[in-house]
Amino acid sequence: MIDYRARFRTNLMIAGCGLAAFAVVPFVANSGLMFLAGLVAINIVFGLSWNLLFSGAGLLSFGHAMFFGGGAYAMAVVSLRMPEVPFVIGLALGAACGGLIALLFGIIALRRASGVYFAVLTLAFSELVHILITKTTFLGRNDGLVGIRRPVIDLGVFSIDLTSATSYYYFIIVVMALVAMMLWCFQNSPAGRLIQAIRQDMTRTAFLGVHVQVWQLTAFVLSGSIAAFCGAVMVPFTQIASPEIAYWTVSTQPILFTLLGGAGYFWGPAVGAILFGTIDFGTRTMQGLSEITVGILLLAVVLMIPGGLLGLLKRRRKKARRMAEGSSPAQHEQSGKTEAGQ
Amino acid sequence: MTRIMEARAIHKSYGLVKVLENVDFDLEDGEAHVVIGPNGAGKTTLFRCLSGETRINSGTITLAGDDVTQLAGWERVQRGIGRSFQVARIFPMMSAFENLIVAIETRERKDKGLWSSFGHIAPRHAVMDEAERLVLELGLEDTRDESAGTLSHGDKKRLELAMSLALRPQILMLDEPTAGMSPSDRAEAVRLVSQVRERYGLTLLLTEHDMEVVFGLATRLTVLHHGEIIASGEPHEVRADARVREVYLGQH
Repeated sequence: MIDYRARFRTNLMIAGCGLAAFAVVPFVANSGLMFLAGLVAINIVFGLSWNLLFSGAGLLSFGHAMFFGGGAYAMAVVSLRMPEVPFVIGLALGAACGGLIALLFGIIALRRASGVYFAVLTLAFSELVHILITKTTFLGRNDGLVGIRRPVIDLGVFSIDLTSATSYYYFIIVVMALVAMMLWCFQNSPAGRLIQAIRQDMTRTAFLGVHVQVWQLTAFVLSGSIAAFCGAVMVPFTQIASPEIAYWTVSTQPILFTLLGGAGYFWGPAVGAILFGTIDFGTRTMQGLSEITVGILLLAVVLMIPGGLLGLLKRRRKKARRMAEGSSPAQHEQSGKTEAGQ
Repeated sequence: MTRIMEARAIHKSYGLVKVLENVDFDLEDGEAHVVIGPNGAGKTTLFRCLSGETRINSGTITLAGDDVTQLAGWERVQRGIGRSFQVARIFPMMSAFENLIVAIETRERKDKGLWSSFGHIAPRHAVMDEAERLVLELGLEDTRDESAGTLSHGDKKRLELAMSLALRPQILMLDEPTAGMSPSDRAEAVRLVSQVRERYGLTLLLTEHDMEVVFGLATRLTVLHHGEIIASGEPHEVRADARVREVYLGQH
């Protein structure tokens, strides 16, 4: 019997602890590290959005950069060319932009292709978006859009000033924690269960009376919107939207996070993103070393621990539990609970 | 009796292989209609055509008077068909209980609208209670929390039956419900199927190989041979039919 409430509490706690850990960063680290931590926080949710599609719906996307870039550029355009539009609306527009791209693309691709063909189509479409951005003067061509200002959120009674990097950093981590929990709730809602079911047996789901393609499209649009939202949140932080954020290397990032952390676990991409950020930071002074390290690490993880880091942890815990079996039932209970966090 | 499903002049071929030729098939309300025939006679194909898993090349299929020929499988399910597969299809990575929850929530989505799918992180109490009832009814107590992929063949079939019942169908289509079972499991399955048929007032459509199962359940029998119907009627009539005897005995 699954205790749904306990599972929710555990995951809320995980998100809370993550938030607390990120909140400490500005006190203990310099502004460079804080900047990196902000990007990691964004990457965590970017990875979660990708894994919602991969582990949730069983759809492999090689083109998540088109959503991320789409959201980022939508935000940049709104804040540069339409400064009268409130910041929150800009974020919503960014997310909607990604959702729209996902909807258009999904309608075409999901009807025609599945598996590898779907993945290749996402890659091709994403490249198309990237090229369009580099050729459009309105979007700043290869130079991108620069000088994006951080906002002041006006709530009427009082306003929240996010113009400093530190305050915007706090905005990022709070919003990202909220979105991550929202994603968790979605995956555990009836809709999330249904999408899981579709991945496990499409024919069976259809013969429960479910229009499978519509639900796959729903997952795709949701994933695209969240990825775009991440892009939109990032732009005021970095204060630049450059075509690189729609490049295919950005699409590989959530894949890396997920494989490193463990695709079968909700928080897998989060673990992967943090690890990835750490490697990036540790090798920041050595040109190219970051890529090599990540490459070797990924190879090692895929070959030796196919379940990712969280998979390794789980196996360790199982082993420990087997050894402690019988002697201490309390411990058994403990590990059972943490396992429910996946 | 009223006809709830009617197929007229169905043709189905895969490439050059004609599997069904000019088949007329009726399903009367409340009957237990069993389709038999030698291997390769087209039983499963007929099943797939009627349930909408595959499209027919020509002919018409109606459900309760409505033409459903062009409707996909999921749409026919929404009009009151529940079906099982020859090799039970379940969600292998979920527990048996969760499998049932997915099925019940799917039915609710149709009745209560899309918004019932969002906003809560645990299945509603009514859904859990209903799943619990189905667990008891089909004797899945021992396996309810095991992941469905690890269940025995018979338990998977039972789980699939329970999921189909969760949809509250009018017509229940079972493709070889006892395939691969031991004789004792078979008798149990026959008992279970007739029990749920009675309780839910279902119309049954089955394909089956085992003659004991066939005569244990059927109120009507149709014999398919090389994609054509060679006999249809009450079980004792069909048993006496000369052509049927030839087809079945001639094989040996």
